[in-house]
Amino acid sequence: MQYGMIIDLERCVGCHACTIACKAEWEVPVEFNRNWVYRMGPSKVGNEIAATYYPGLCNHCTEPVCVPECPADTEDVTFTDPKTGKTVTMEVAATWKDPFDGTVQVDKNRCIGCGACADACPYNARYVNPDLTDDVSEDGKVDKCTYCQPRLQAGLEPACVQTCITGARIFGDLDDPNSEVAKYVKKGAKGLEAEGGDLGPNSRYIGKKKDMALLFNSYTPELADMNKVRRRAMIASLVKPAVKQLQGLGLLGAAGILVAKKLSEDK
Amino acid sequence: MAFNLTRRKFLQSASLAAVALPLSEAIASETSIQRSPLESTGSFGDETVVGGVCEMCFWRCQLVGKKRGDRLIKLEGNPKSIDNGTSICARGNAGIKLLYDPDRLKYPLKNVGERGNPKWKRISWQEALDECGTKLKQVHEKYGAQGLCMFPHGSSAKYPMHFMERTLGTHNVSEASFYQCRGIRDTAYLATIGKAPGENVDMPNAKVIMLLGGHFGENVHVSHIKRYIKGLENGAKLIVVDPRFSASAAKSDVWVRIKPGTDTAFLLAIMNYLIINKKYDEEFVDEYGDGLEELQAGIKQWTLEKAAAECDIPAAQIKEVAELLAANSPNVSIHPGRHVSWYGNDFQRQRALACLTGLLGAFYVKGGWVPGKGPKVGAISWAKHDHGDEHNLNMNEDEERLYPYAPPGTPTELIRDAALTGKPYPIKGCVIWGQNPIQTIPGQDKMKEVLKQMDFVMCVDVMPTDVTMWADILLPEVSYLERYDYIKTGTQWDFADNHLQFIAPRMPLAEPMFERKDQVYITNEIARRMGFEKEIPVSSAMEMVEKNLEVAGLTLDQVRKEGGIHTRPGKDPYAMPEDFEVLFYNEDIEDAGFPGIPTYKPTEPPPAGYTRLLYGRVPVHTFNRTQNNVWLNRAMPENPVWINDELAAKMGLSDGDTVGLVNQDGFSSRTTTTVKTTPGIRKDAIYMAHGYGSANPLLTVGADAGVDDQSLITKITVDEETGAHGMRTNFVKLVKDGKVLDIPTSA
Repeated sequence: MQYGMIIDLERCVGCHACTIACKAEWEVPVEFNRNWVYRMGPSKVGNEIAATYYPGLCNHCTEPVCVPECPADTEDVTFTDPKTGKTVTMEVAATWKDPFDGTVQVDKNRCIGCGACADACPYNARYVNPDLTDDVSEDGKVDKCTYCQPRLQAGLEPACVQTCITGARIFGDLDDPNSEVAKYVKKGAKGLEAEGGDLGPNSRYIGKKKDMALLFNSYTPELADMNKVRRRAMIASLVKPAVKQLQGLGLLGAAGILVAKKLSEDK
Repeated sequence: MAFNLTRRKFLQSASLAAVALPLSEAIASETSIQRSPLESTGSFGDETVVGGVCEMCFWRCQLVGKKRGDRLIKLEGNPKSIDNGTSICARGNAGIKLLYDPDRLKYPLKNVGERGNPKWKRISWQEALDECGTKLKQVHEKYGAQGLCMFPHGSSAKYPMHFMERTLGTHNVSEASFYQCRGIRDTAYLATIGKAPGENVDMPNAKVIMLLGGHFGENVHVSHIKRYIKGLENGAKLIVVDPRFSASAAKSDVWVRIKPGTDTAFLLAIMNYLIINKKYDEEFVDEYGDGLEELQAGIKQWTLEKAAAECDIPAAQIKEVAELLAANSPNVSIHPGRHVSWYGNDFQRQRALACLTGLLGAFYVKGGWVPGKGPKVGAISWAKHDHGDEHNLNMNEDEERLYPYAPPGTPTELIRDAALTGKPYPIKGCVIWGQNPIQTIPGQDKMKEVLKQMDFVMCVDVMPTDVTMWADILLPEVSYLERYDYIKTGTQWDFADNHLQFIAPRMPLAEPMFERKDQVYITNEIARRMGFEKEIPVSSAMEMVEKNLEVAGLTLDQVRKEGGIHTRPGKDPYAMPEDFEVLFYNEDIEDAGFPGIPTYKPTEPPPAGYTRLLYGRVPVHTFNRTQNNVWLNRAMPENPVWINDELAAKMGLSDGDTVGLVNQDGFSSRTTTTVKTTPGIRKDAIYMAHGYGSANPLLTVGADAGVDDQSLITKITVDEETGAHGMRTNFVKLVKDGKVLDIPTSA
């Protein structure tokens, strides 16, 4: 099972209902968004003129680049298949890709607020909410679109889908060939793949040829420089109280930790 | 906020949610992770309260609230709604940020400074009402009812407006929804088909949809947009006539990049083509039309070529549009528009739209103009009295109307001119209720002069809008989420579905906070103090709604039990009324001294070095009413100026440049905004969203955000037949780094 969302640009009128409903549902701070709508154009596309929208959100990627970057302590987590009741136990850090529904989720208990996952995301789909602090993190906690997993668990649609005024957001299981979303993929719904990446974004877009060209030409997500991301993550994990004992980092030693602390304070 | 929740509280609400929703419905993976108390719980587990009717705009979608304790957390479309369903737009979703806006008016205030530069002192309701009652009574006694004027807006302003008009007896009421918006459309259609058209086109079932300036997507009303998108999805061809590549143009099959102000010429050429080539609906016109010969004779000069030259578009494109309409008639939606006060030649254009609809036989047919058959509810209010027309400013000595096709109320300019000259009589008392005449009506300085010369000005509003700075007494009103008033009625939006009707009275979803009061309380208390206690029709807003529901055989209790909306079987909307006719030629209009057939009147072109200022909407704002809403502000914090990219290149302007504007009369914008360069606008116009750039510092989010387009509309244009304003007749230059940039006219 892999949840995905199709955004039908022929239906989308760019009204922003999705973004505001999400803010209300999840009490997203004013300065952040779990989803967004950017207007593209009017611009020339070949000999035509086009204008469309980029209604973006977490892509719950098939191969998410954010998940492996989490430096938090791992924990055994048991996942239950909603259909069969089958369970799987995996060792995961504070963010993971769900083995059954394919969504990418965050455990705020263990998130150390370092922002490595947010830095790694080519879509800017994650943010650190500085208001969410606890003993584990004084810097806040990372937040993002969950495809409204708690609502799904309660048998409801994602909030953005529920409010969409034209039915432009279609949600479902991409792995089910009979689902509406799978049919859209057959018709050509495409995800915004990062340049040179192979993430497999599961939020996908479909629309008129010129509108798709405008969207895909003007929005080109780029992979982050992972060396930078990792260095920051490592530093953060070292100075956090809930330090994860990463194998292979022992060589940093006490001096290394001091340097890391200093770097962190300079920030 | 979620982070204030203790773990214990979190667990409580989580368990409640689990009780409400059986686990068997779970369709997402479950994990062994204990959710952090920091995690927001989502609103879905919260209590649902029913009976909300939105008023973030006038479309009035039906709502439910999600309530946690005393606090509304979220608004959603009412799942029982056959109008908006579970959908609401960005503004509707942001309603709770209006409800809890810290800048909202909280207490009655008295201006102890001066008008326009107020110093506010908190006073008691007793004192405020005494002051309003006494001052209005003084004006009433000294100058007569005609010495009072009113600028109302919104559903809560109806009740006090009726008190002013019916009980006190002043004609001097100017509703922005008529005189700066749709009044021209309504009276033009009344003079053609005997009915105001609303936006009643059956788009879901149309084969062609034609929009003249309509920019749906930027302009959002939920069930209206549902109709439009359903129509496109069902295969309708979309024709969009607009100088700008609007949100609708982006979805169009034909974009007619028309020269601003020439729309009527375009419509006349289409009609001429249809008539000459016998491509109109002869059967329909024979049966329901009147005056085709006069129309034919009167528009015969409007060849495709002549219109093409006038409108600056290819003749072939006009022909393409005409052919497309003819080939698909009568199942065509010729949209009547809504905000149509553009160039001062608008009555004739609206007549042309109605006549074109008639030539295509597109009334009461699938896809055509079809008003739904909604239910009847009561309209209890102040009793009507005949106050005569002696002091009606729209009536001359011979008892002829100066503006014979004026919508209800009195043309704004007649009121303002009388106030400023004292002729034919002084106007010295002003009640402003929900309207912001400073940012709605052309000529801000004129409006300020009008307010300055008043003996008394009172404002009732939810927010400290710009005009409230001119009040002597400023009263805080409850919002649409905290009061009873309007009863929304209608039908299902797609006439292809089962015919249903609905009745949805507005019921409060939250308790009023601070000292805010509703329209019935405020009006009654003032009426009492002016000596009209015996005339008071209802003692509370709830009673008013209850009585209005009675007419439909309903009670508030019953509607509440039904989930906030009463739905019942409807009627076939396509049945043609017996006496229906389309007046292509209207003798009365001619007798009144205006062209009896739709006639093109050119508008003044931009002077050298200037370009025309066009304005429109963005989907996250309603007029000037939502710019202080922090969520909506974040979505679109300012209103960029659209300028043609080639023109911009010649002027050395780039995307994102900061600019101000100055108009033909030398008025400069108080604030700045950014440049958006695009091929999607003609060179003879620039465009910006309306409603930004408020000046009231009490709007801590919206003040100074973007540019106030209204401040640049100083040249006052009035539509001759209706007395309503035309607001696209002003011209501007851009100002960058203090330098005024001429617009290369022959670019």
